[in-house]
Order: sequence, then structure tokens, then C-alpha cells
Amino acid sequence: MTTRTHSLRRTVGSPPRTGGAPRARRLGVRQRGSYPASFLVPAFAVLGLFFFLPTIYNFVYALTSWSSFSSSIHFVGLQNFTDLISSGTLFRSLRITVTYAVLVAVFQNVFGLLLALLLERDTRVNRFARVMFFIPVIMSALAVGYVFQAILKPTGALNTILGDMLGHAVTIPWLGNTTWTLVVITLIHAWKWMGLSMLIYLAGLKTINDDVLEAARLDGASAWTTFRDIRFPLLAPAITFNVATALLGSMNGFDVVQATTGGGPARSTELLNIFIFRTFGQGLFAQATTMSLVLFLVVAILAFPVIRVLRKREEVL
Amino acid sequence: MKRYLTAAAAIVAVGLLTTACSDPSITGPGSSQSSGTATVQWPDATASLSGVTLTIWAAQNSNTTPKAVVAAFEKATGAKVNIVTIPDPYEQGVQTKVATGDKPDLAFWQPTGSMLTALNAPTNLQPLTGAPWITNLNPALQDMTGILKGTRYAALITSPAVEGVYYNKDVFAANGITTLPKDWNSFIADARALKAAGQTPLFEMGGDRWATQWWVQVQLADAAKSGLWDKVNTGKEKFTDPTILDAIKTYKSLIDEGLFNKDIATANFADQGAALLSGQAAMVVQVNSFFSELQAKTDTATLNKKIGFFPISPSGNTGTFIPDQSNALVAFKTGDAKREAAARQLLSLWMGKGYPAFIKDLNTVSLETSVPSPATVPQALLDVNASLANSVGSMQALAVANPDLYIYLADMIQGTTTPEQVAQQTQDQFAQLAKAQGVAGF
Repeated sequence: MTTRTHSLRRTVGSPPRTGGAPRARRLGVRQRGSYPASFLVPAFAVLGLFFFLPTIYNFVYALTSWSSFSSSIHFVGLQNFTDLISSGTLFRSLRITVTYAVLVAVFQNVFGLLLALLLERDTRVNRFARVMFFIPVIMSALAVGYVFQAILKPTGALNTILGDMLGHAVTIPWLGNTTWTLVVITLIHAWKWMGLSMLIYLAGLKTINDDVLEAARLDGASAWTTFRDIRFPLLAPAITFNVATALLGSMNGFDVVQATTGGGPARSTELLNIFIFRTFGQGLFAQATTMSLVLFLVVAILAFPVIRVLRKREEVL
Repeated sequence: MKRYLTAAAAIVAVGLLTTACSDPSITGPGSSQSSGTATVQWPDATASLSGVTLTIWAAQNSNTTPKAVVAAFEKATGAKVNIVTIPDPYEQGVQTKVATGDKPDLAFWQPTGSMLTALNAPTNLQPLTGAPWITNLNPALQDMTGILKGTRYAALITSPAVEGVYYNKDVFAANGITTLPKDWNSFIADARALKAAGQTPLFEMGGDRWATQWWVQVQLADAAKSGLWDKVNTGKEKFTDPTILDAIKTYKSLIDEGLFNKDIATANFADQGAALLSGQAAMVVQVNSFFSELQAKTDTATLNKKIGFFPISPSGNTGTFIPDQSNALVAFKTGDAKREAAARQLLSLWMGKGYPAFIKDLNTVSLETSVPSPATVPQALLDVNASLANSVGSMQALAVANPDLYIYLADMIQGTTTPEQVAQQTQDQFAQLAKAQGVAGF
């Protein structure tokens, strides 16, 4: 096999799988010669300028006294970190952020999977429904937040509908409870993104070989058994992607929460990013940078084990 | 080997970055020709400026304020002026932009010491020393605000806001209250009498949070007169000391007593306006922007008939002034001498020849003794303006930093914190901000 035929095959479809690991590696070595390394320069330049450079600055400024009050920036060592840790507010916001991320990951995936199973068959109605459920994904998160804020306020649409159904006035402050409002906004966040999870689960379901399902049917497996023992395990790659993106993406949550509650009531929904935003607005730029560095580290620390565990599930495939 | 090279390259890169680490909002030494003590040239208000383009940053609630003045300026000088709206929260947006080196020629800005410090005025703003319009102003307002460490940085254009009580005249009359409260005790006595008569006496917007701090600040008016904020600024007095803590406790006890609206935890700014206007609530402690909200809801005749204003303080009727972003403008040091002069020229026209037309267009109280206020200005606004002469500065006006007292108070209203915790959180944040500014004693 020559490089030429290999690269031809690459452009046509997926890389050869049957060759086995040693052969693939051998081909990979030969492959390196066929694309000049300089092709990578533009991509790395963009990555470096817009990702690595700001990240490095994030580390640097966290160790300084940068603020809006003073023209000079001094090196202060780890003082910003010790101040943050001693105040306790950081851990409070971190706890809220992690709770938020976990709840979003659960809700978004449960909703997404249910929708995918419900809309699996390619009928006309299902195609239309899939589009409808995908629309929130492409909507502006702030717009979603403001719409839900209007629906959920004590005199909003939800309470009016409940009131009409129950026959008496309902004035539940959905966004005014210091315990449950966090759950309400995770549901909003999950609602916005469930269409994306649905799409990925649908793609995952489509890759399951019909022969396997038919064999299960012939063996007399019920729909539930088929799902539990065959379809769900085979969805592992889709689950990895969906859980990881939902969990780690919502760790960086800001827009939906800012628009619905702004961190209230009583800062019970103040995600770390909202706290950072508020600190930055006070002119304490270095402290805000320190916090975003902490968030970066927490996301990184969380990402590795989560992705590792989820990838482990895929090994059975 | 490769790995070591990469690591070495990374270390060198970080090293280079750290040495280049500086505040991008600082312009080079050559551009800061005007310092606080030097004399400032004030060009003739209508001198030709063709080819010059100025930018004004305004907030969503102040972006229409300069329209008429700007049109007159463009016509008289040939300059072009762009009014750019910075989305809310305005102050954070402006500070972030300025921090990255992005500056307008002029911007609406709260002219208090703490907010001028937040913009790093000596570095970023033009001193307005010797501004030609100052002597035209009502003497009580000339040096009231806009000054940081002896240098004027902000031009006051409209009457600064005052914290005080807006009340519904119909509700007062229906409950036999004929004389306005003369001090804090009679104010609270009236509230209790209204409650006994089955009326909601007071209304607070715990959902939108920001007005909560007025209740604490009006109680501090007497202490502020005798130098409370100077003591707080030097660390000699703390938010956790009895003066401020007791004010927070009193606010909490009034809420616990049931003198406020039942939905205090969720009510917002619009609810507050609607409640006072309809007579559902009798009194509201608020600032001028609340009255603007009422003006948006109804006409001047109705407002004159229904809504009144009186200032309140522990021992009498001292108002607490709090100039806000829509009351003043600052001019930035942009490094372009021509544009900097043009910005000053625009302010000269605004507060000089253009002032009568500006006041008329905005239908608001005049600050200049020779320019009468339009006859159509609502009475409550005239009362607010009249209370300024005898008023005292708010925390925002007199403290070196502006902590989020209102957020902590709103937490207390939600029931998650105690007055002691509110005081402690406010003090901690104040100390953090003061330390970042390099204030002695923190």
C-alpha cells in the first residue's frame, strides 16, 4: 500500500480500521512526511493568540495588584489567593457552581435522551418536533433568561395558568426561594440545551446495528430490556460527549443565570462567574482574575476524572 | 530533549509577558500634558471644530439626555458627536473598557469621590479646573461634588439625586395626616398609624435590591454631618460599630414589625412605583430616578396632585444627596490635544449658551441662578432640588469606596443573614476596596 492510496482513502472515508495498531502507526509515520508541519502554523497562531496567551496572562495577573484605582501594577505573590480563601465567599460560590453544573448535566441528559427515544423514528411529525426542540439551542441565552424571568415572576404566566387551573390566585415566587430557585434555573439551562443532547443521542441511536436489535427481538427481549442491556450501553460515546460538555460547559455558566436571577435571591444562585463579574465591576481586576484562575483549575481538575470514567465505559464496545 | 526545549520556551514566554505586564489604560508619558495643578484652556464655546469627531458614552437611562445639546453643538461648530450607549450595568462596562485602554471623549459618570477613584481620575480624566460655568451655578452646588483631592473632574449638569421620602398625598389626607413628619420618630409614628388603619405604610423593592441601602443611609444623615464617613475612611469607625449597625438593625426591626409590603422579598422597581401611585402603599424611601419612573407612568398634573416629597433624617428633615451617573459628565484624557479641547468646548456650550435650551428640552430643574426652571417641572422635583442646600453626602458621595451594602441588605430581607453579618460583609468589602486603592489604615 502506498501513501497515495492511503491519503486517497482518507479523503473518501474513515481511516482504515482493519489494519490493526502496528500498521496504523507505520502509516502514521509515513503520513507525517506528506503534510508539511508549516500547515499547522496558522491554526497554532490563532490558538496561541486567543487561547494560550490569555490563559498565561490569567496566571500572571492573578499574582499582581492590578485594579482600576492605581496606574501601576505590582507583584503581590499569592496574596490574592490567601485573601480569597480566608473570606469564604469563594468556596460558597464554588459549591453553588458545582451543584449547578451537576444538576444541569443530569437534567439536560435525561431530557435529551428521553426526547431522542421519543423522536427516534423518522416520521414527518418527529422531524418537525426535533426542529422545534432544537430551536432553544440556537436562541440567545440572555433572551431565554429574560423570557423565563417574565414567565416565572409572581404575577407571571406560569402562576396565571396554575391559578386558572386551580380556580384561585397563585403567587409562588419561583425565582425568590433561596433553596429551590437554583433547581429552577438549572431546569431552564437544561431546557435550553436539551435539543443538542437530543441530536447527539439520536445520532448515537442511529449507529446501533439493526441486526443486533433484531436478534434481541427474536430472543423475546422486551423494549425495556433491549434499552437497558443493548441500546444504553451502545450509546456510551454519545453519553461521554453529552455529560462532559454539559457538566464542564455549565461550570462556566453565566448568561442564563444573570438574566433570570442575577445571582439572587440572597446570592443563592451566585455562580462563580457572576461573582467574578461583580468583583471585576468593583475595579478589583486582579482579584477577579484570581477567581477565574481558580475556576479554570477546578474545571481542569474535574474534567480529567470525569472524561476518564466515561471513556472507560466505552471500552466494552 | 524536545520536551525540555518546549518547557524552556514556555518559561521564556512567561518571563517576557511578566516584564511587559502593565496597565493598558495608561497612555504614554508624552500625552499627559495637562496635570491637576496646571491651568486649563477653555476654548470659546462656538469656535469652529470642523473635522473633529467626539464620542460620548451614555447609559440606557441617559443616552437621550445630550441629544438636543449635541445637535446645537454640531450646528455651531461643525464637529461631529457620536452618542454611544454602553449597556447596563453601565459602570462595570465603562470600567472594563477603560481598563483595556478604550476611552471616549466624554462620558456620563457618577461624580462622587469613590466613583472618580474607580476610574483612576488623575490618570484617565481631564481636570476641569477653572471651568467658566462654575460661577453661574447655584452657590450651594458649585463645589458639592465632582471633586477628587482638590481637583474638579466632573461637570454637574442636572440636579443631584436626594434620598428621601416620596409619599401619596391622597393616602395621607384619607388617614388624617395633615402635617409632614418633622423627624425620624414622627415619620415612624405616622407609618404605625397608617398600619393601624389597615394601610400598607411603606414599600420596599427587595427583588431589585438597589434601593435597600437608602433606608440605612437616611438614618446616618446626622452622623454624616458630624464626619462619620471621614472616620470610616480612615478606619477609625467601622460598619460593625454601633452607628451604622444600629441603622441596619432599625431597618430590620421595621420590616419585622410588618410596616412594609408583604412581597418585600420579590417586589421590583416597577412594582414600587405602581404601588405608590395607586395608593396601595403610602410612602417610599427613594431617589430621583424613582420619580422618573413615576413620570413615565403618568403626567405632571397627576403627579403634582398625588405625589409629594420630604427629606428625612433622625433629628429633622436633612436630605442625603447622592449624585448619580445621569447627573454629570467626565472628560477623558485621550492623548489627542485637539479632541480634548473640543470635549471641554462642548461642556462650555452645554453649561453656558446651551443651558436654557437643555433644561427646557429635559423639562428639569435648572442649576444656574440666571436660568429659570421651566414652569412645567413637577413640584416634587423642585422640592428635591430645594432640599439640596441643607443636605449631607451619602456613602457614595463621601466614602472612599462604595461597597455592595444594598446586596447584603437584600440578603437580610431574604432572611439568610443577620444585621451583624450585613455590617461585617460590608466592612470586609470596604476594607478590600480601600486596600486596593492604597488608602492609609487598610
